[in-house]
Amino acid sequence: MKSLKKILIIMMAILLLAPSAALADNHGDTKATVKTPAADLRADLDKLLSEHFVLATTFMMKSYEDAEDAEQVWNKLDQNAQDMTPAIASVYGEEAAAQFEDIFRGHNDYSDDFVKAAKNDDPEARKAAEQEVEEFVNEFGAFLSKATEGNLSEEAAQKVLAAHEEDVINVFDHYVNEEYQKAYQSFREGFHRMFDISKALSTAITTQMPDKFEHTKADAKAADLRSNLNALASEHFALATLEMQKGFNQSPDYDFVTWAENEHTKDFTATIESLYGEEGAEQFEKVWQQDHITAQSDIVTATLESNEEARMDAEESLKMFAEDFGTFLAAATEGNLPQQAATEAVWTHEEDVLETFDHYAAEDYEAAYNSFREGYGFMFGIGETLGDAIAKQMPDQFANDQMPEEMPDTGMGGMSGAGSLSAWAWAAFGILALLSGGVLYRKKSNQ
Amino acid sequence: MEMKWKIYFTVVGIVALLMVGYETNVWANLTSSESETQVKRIENPEVDASDITPPEEKLKEQVAGGEFTVINKNKDMNSSEVVKEEKQKETGIVPANIQIPAIDVNSDIESVGVLDNGQMGVPEDPDKAGWFEPGTEPGNTGNSVIAGHVDSRTGPAVFYDLDKLEKGDEITVTDQNGEKKTYVVQKLESYPEKESPIGRIFGPTDEKRLNLITCTGEFVRYQGGHQDRLVVYSTLKEAEKEKSDIKAPTNIEVNGSLVTWYAVRKDYVAGYRVYRSKDGEEFEKVASISNHERKAYSDPEAAQYKYYVTTVALEGNESEPSKTVSFK
Repeated sequence: MKSLKKILIIMMAILLLAPSAALADNHGDTKATVKTPAADLRADLDKLLSEHFVLATTFMMKSYEDAEDAEQVWNKLDQNAQDMTPAIASVYGEEAAAQFEDIFRGHNDYSDDFVKAAKNDDPEARKAAEQEVEEFVNEFGAFLSKATEGNLSEEAAQKVLAAHEEDVINVFDHYVNEEYQKAYQSFREGFHRMFDISKALSTAITTQMPDKFEHTKADAKAADLRSNLNALASEHFALATLEMQKGFNQSPDYDFVTWAENEHTKDFTATIESLYGEEGAEQFEKVWQQDHITAQSDIVTATLESNEEARMDAEESLKMFAEDFGTFLAAATEGNLPQQAATEAVWTHEEDVLETFDHYAAEDYEAAYNSFREGYGFMFGIGETLGDAIAKQMPDQFANDQMPEEMPDTGMGGMSGAGSLSAWAWAAFGILALLSGGVLYRKKSNQ
Repeated sequence: MEMKWKIYFTVVGIVALLMVGYETNVWANLTSSESETQVKRIENPEVDASDITPPEEKLKEQVAGGEFTVINKNKDMNSSEVVKEEKQKETGIVPANIQIPAIDVNSDIESVGVLDNGQMGVPEDPDKAGWFEPGTEPGNTGNSVIAGHVDSRTGPAVFYDLDKLEKGDEITVTDQNGEKKTYVVQKLESYPEKESPIGRIFGPTDEKRLNLITCTGEFVRYQGGHQDRLVVYSTLKEAEKEKSDIKAPTNIEVNGSLVTWYAVRKDYVAGYRVYRSKDGEEFEKVASISNHERKAYSDPEAAQYKYYVTTVALEGNESEPSKTVSFK
């Protein structure tokens, strides 16, 4: 049975090879990479911002339920905010970073205010919390705009921050109202918005300081690919660990987290389809579900039923998944991602999931959320490695634009009294084009 | 002289022993037919480890012949508490009559409270049973308690044959308007009077229980009466659900190798059965998924089959099939 599956996967690999064989002459183009300074910045922001969203919403749900682990989630939420400071300091210096930390760490307090208002059914407190959020949006938007010297306009920054705060509050309100499907729909939307924010912010920063980022672009196609894979991988981890906790507690929203996971699988499959076509997507979906998604749930069931044997079976399944998925990825990327490395990475991820759950079930919440943060961060390594393998495999799609960095100097200025003005005009045009492109892209991706 | 004293003490001693022996009825166990009843005597219920958790409060339970497992783990206070309040609405009755066909009991019920000495009250009339009115109304979630005498000074009383009840026997209480609640006997236990597990008999529970109490054990006059208390634990017999009352699952989907559906969010659900068919005519059952599990069935060959899912209630009844679906 096992070997039959392997044969199927290898056959799949050969099928996948066929279309790309035509592009073989482009191979070895080292220009195609997701590992650029700009993409690194974007990935760092992807990680910290999306983790902020996951921890903030998780904290609010836990705190509303008076869950025993609410305090540990709160600590990690604060830790996440502190981790952003060095990232900001590396770009804008210590002073700006301190200012950033002041504003950003403080805004976490509001999530607590919303929970208290809901618990006490206190509309006045709720209003006050909303007021505070509005102030934060204005203050932080102004900060970002100033720091990026207007590369991210104050208005755009405030708009996107307001949307994020609304996401968080939507998740919480729907949760409190027991509208769980809507809650997890908001969760998914809000989660992905963090990656949009990260893109806008990192692009503004790299545009502002091209030299610092070696003239690489945070919104290059390869950077988009890496970020997209980051989002899919980390959302999977967030949902898997949440699902297992909810299943363990037999919470009323358990079935809705599994629903969100199923929706996530559909999105992941669509991304694979855009890269490897329908057949590749079909193969991916099977490997992804089989021995993986259900096996993670089986771990929970085994724990609930104190069934040692079922637990061992589920762990075996996960090992098989690591093997199969590693094989699939190596085949799909034509060995740009070696099978061994892929399998090891997948298994490390499964271990993170298991550790997070086991510590949680043992009520060691400190350890559980340490494992959570570690496992969450690890997913971004998968995005980087896998993204790079894909970019190298498909340099046509993901090569960095081979455009000159500056326009040729084709005039001496003898006929123009205001040469510098024309340079400004070009710059303004460029920024406008970038911004409107960004807006269009966001609109499209939000549809 | 000394010899006489020795004989005297010996005789007095033997007589005293005989009397004590008679009083404490040491031979009763050898001669009586007590083994015919299902009463389990528990000397020290508070430390009897095997019984600290009564069976109905265990963390998991098998239903429908072991096909489904029910996890009784209400760690999440939000859900269970809310449901409980809802259930309490107007389902309880004030019992006026009790009937136990198995032992020919048919008698009136009085409401009783707590006496000044802390004991639960019992009706004066030995042929009436007493319902503990400060407690739970029969039909509601919790422990309802009814006590009755085993005998009067002159003969048998209302609960004389209570110890002859068997697991599965039915107890029906009726209110003044004729509304009935029927309970099914789960187990019989007796405890030394002072050691009775008051919390288990009167305290909170997620079950809908009726507990009958009477006296048992030997009658020791100088100690004020019967030495033991017999408790018959029974649980409410819920009206069985009709097929059409059980909601079939919705939103069945087949994606890749996974069959998924939306859970039926009702308390009566034990689990789901997944059926598949190649031709859409003859379906075979391929999986039973308990309610606490992920609502999904993984099938590597899902693309080749059509599926439907049914809901199975705790009593074992099954819903109509859901919509039949296949891989898109």
